Amino acid sequence: MATEQRQQQQGWNPVSRVLNWMEQLSEEAYAYLLLAPAFLVLFTIALWPLWRTFRVSLFADNLFGAAKTGEFVGLQNYIEVLTNQNPLLSRPLIDLTGGTPFFRQALLVTLAFAVISVVFETLIGFGQAYIMSKEYRGRRWVRVAIILPWAIPIVIQGMLFFLLFNPSVGFLSDPLQAIGLFGSNPLTSSTNAFVIVTVADIWKTSAFMALLILAGMQSIDKSLYDVAEVAGASPWQRFRHITLPLIFPALMVAMLFRTIDAMRIYGIIEASGAGCGTVPSLSCLVVDTMFGVTQAYASAATIAFITASIIALVIGGYLVVLKLSPEGSYQ
Amino acid sequence: MSQPTGTERSDDETRGPLSNWVDSAIKNPKKVYRAMFYVVVIFFLFTTLFPLYWLTMIALSNSNRVSEGVGLLPAGFDPSSFVEIFQQIPLHLYLFNSFVFATLTTIFVLIVASLAGYAFGRLEFRGKRTLLLTVLIISFFPPAAFFIPLFQLFTQQIAFLGLTPPELYSTPGGVVVPLSAIFMPLAIFILTTFYSQIPDGLEDAARIEGTTRLGALFRVIIPLSAPGVATAGILTFIAVYNEFFFSFLMTGTAAQDWAPIVDGIISYQSQFQVRYDLMAAASIVAVVPVAILVVVAQEKIVSGLTSGALKE
Repeated sequence: MATEQRQQQQGWNPVSRVLNWMEQLSEEAYAYLLLAPAFLVLFTIALWPLWRTFRVSLFADNLFGAAKTGEFVGLQNYIEVLTNQNPLLSRPLIDLTGGTPFFRQALLVTLAFAVISVVFETLIGFGQAYIMSKEYRGRRWVRVAIILPWAIPIVIQGMLFFLLFNPSVGFLSDPLQAIGLFGSNPLTSSTNAFVIVTVADIWKTSAFMALLILAGMQSIDKSLYDVAEVAGASPWQRFRHITLPLIFPALMVAMLFRTIDAMRIYGIIEASGAGCGTVPSLSCLVVDTMFGVTQAYASAATIAFITASIIALVIGGYLVVLKLSPEGSYQ
Repeated sequence: MSQPTGTERSDDETRGPLSNWVDSAIKNPKKVYRAMFYVVVIFFLFTTLFPLYWLTMIALSNSNRVSEGVGLLPAGFDPSSFVEIFQQIPLHLYLFNSFVFATLTTIFVLIVASLAGYAFGRLEFRGKRTLLLTVLIISFFPPAAFFIPLFQLFTQQIAFLGLTPPELYSTPGGVVVPLSAIFMPLAIFILTTFYSQIPDGLEDAARIEGTTRLGALFRVIIPLSAPGVATAGILTFIAVYNEFFFSFLMTGTAAQDWAPIVDGIISYQSQFQVRYDLMAAASIVAVVPVAILVVVAQEKIVSGLTSGALKE
């Protein structure tokens, strides 16, 4: 009776009328309705600008006129950038002739950074998530301490590492120099600055992995562990056969987005004072070409699309691995 | 050793605490795990907190003596830099602006991404993979790839499909709108993952009880995925608060022009002679509000609402 009454009332109220209408939709129509707001935002704010940027990349650079682009050149910008024949780039994207040091080639720097930082962040993230998930006194504050670096704005993270390795204020550059690992001014050497930027990133971003892994761990039914313990499983076995398979989806999302983020590394390079000339990541190259001395929009747009394509290749690799793996039931 | 009960007591007296501990550890391996565990805890506490401790020591140093080098203790104790930062610029207004950006973006992203995450995680429809892949591909692009058209749109230099929006440059909208789109893919993926793991039976039960479709999402699915929703929310909030590129370029540099904390911190580097102590003090003041948020929010992530009988 109560439900009948409610249904009658629903006829009057416009909100209920909308809800009622939703009940009538097929599953597919309902799904599209729920996706509409997200895709409206993504279309306007992401796809539309990308389309405009892509169009720019098909035109020649016009450095001196009022218009930023010249005549239509098709894919020529892409060929020039990939074969290191574009004189407007501050550093080559990749130089196959071997004339450029490893850490001065944008693609190699970016890939090296992504692999090293994601591997360490995943391992450390696991460790951090594990100690955040256990029960003990003061756990709350341990959690806060672990998440804290992730909450620190990039400008401040950059300044912190700038100061740590600053030869006058910081205390890290002297001992590292004494044992011969670093030069006298580490932030100006490409290899040293690469290490500093990588360490800074691992310091800050491991917590991101830890949070996602922890959220996955929290969703695991605790009684599974009790059963395993009774059955005599060691902590390692419990981790391998319960934790790992069950957090696999969350772990994959975390690693996927960490890899994408690492391949777009930019902020910390500028903020730490290393600068895009010293550690030329792909995003650095885009920003340098777009806003630097040259202001070559077409070349910058080209590098942006090449960057996205390279990321697409890497992520494609991930998705293939995910599909082939036994735990890859996700999606 | 072969007759443990008889000899143990005299061993205790002759061999010292360490070997005793080793003995008991061999008999009870749990003790070793525990000790290793605390070593790891202390290691992580040290690596995450020490740089921040050191930054505090710089902030507390005397401005003339900072360049001598700062170690475990400040070079000449002088906390006045914490007052001076507010005299130089209205740092609290920059902080406020950043908080407005982060709050608005987080609310917007969570609502829109929840709807999308529900569709992706729990409904079957044609084109699901293609749409999910589109969401993912958007996040492949460096922020610079979006910047020029959006900047022109927000300063009313160009129109979008014949429409000219109000001037968004130097308003919260100028930062919130692009960052919502940029951080939405991550939120959609997190929520899709968590929503898809809720057993169907719980939702069906609620529907039989007479809950509407949308009601089932907001009263059953979202509460059961609380750790996932909280994680997505915190990650978005912090990512916006920390963001470097759009926050810096889509606003003016004065606090009245909605400049966020990035501009506040940078102005200490450009406006005056290099004052490391001021930079450090401003950094600490900027970190404290987020730190408090982390303290409050981390309880939510681990509230364990989804643990126990609710999982199949």
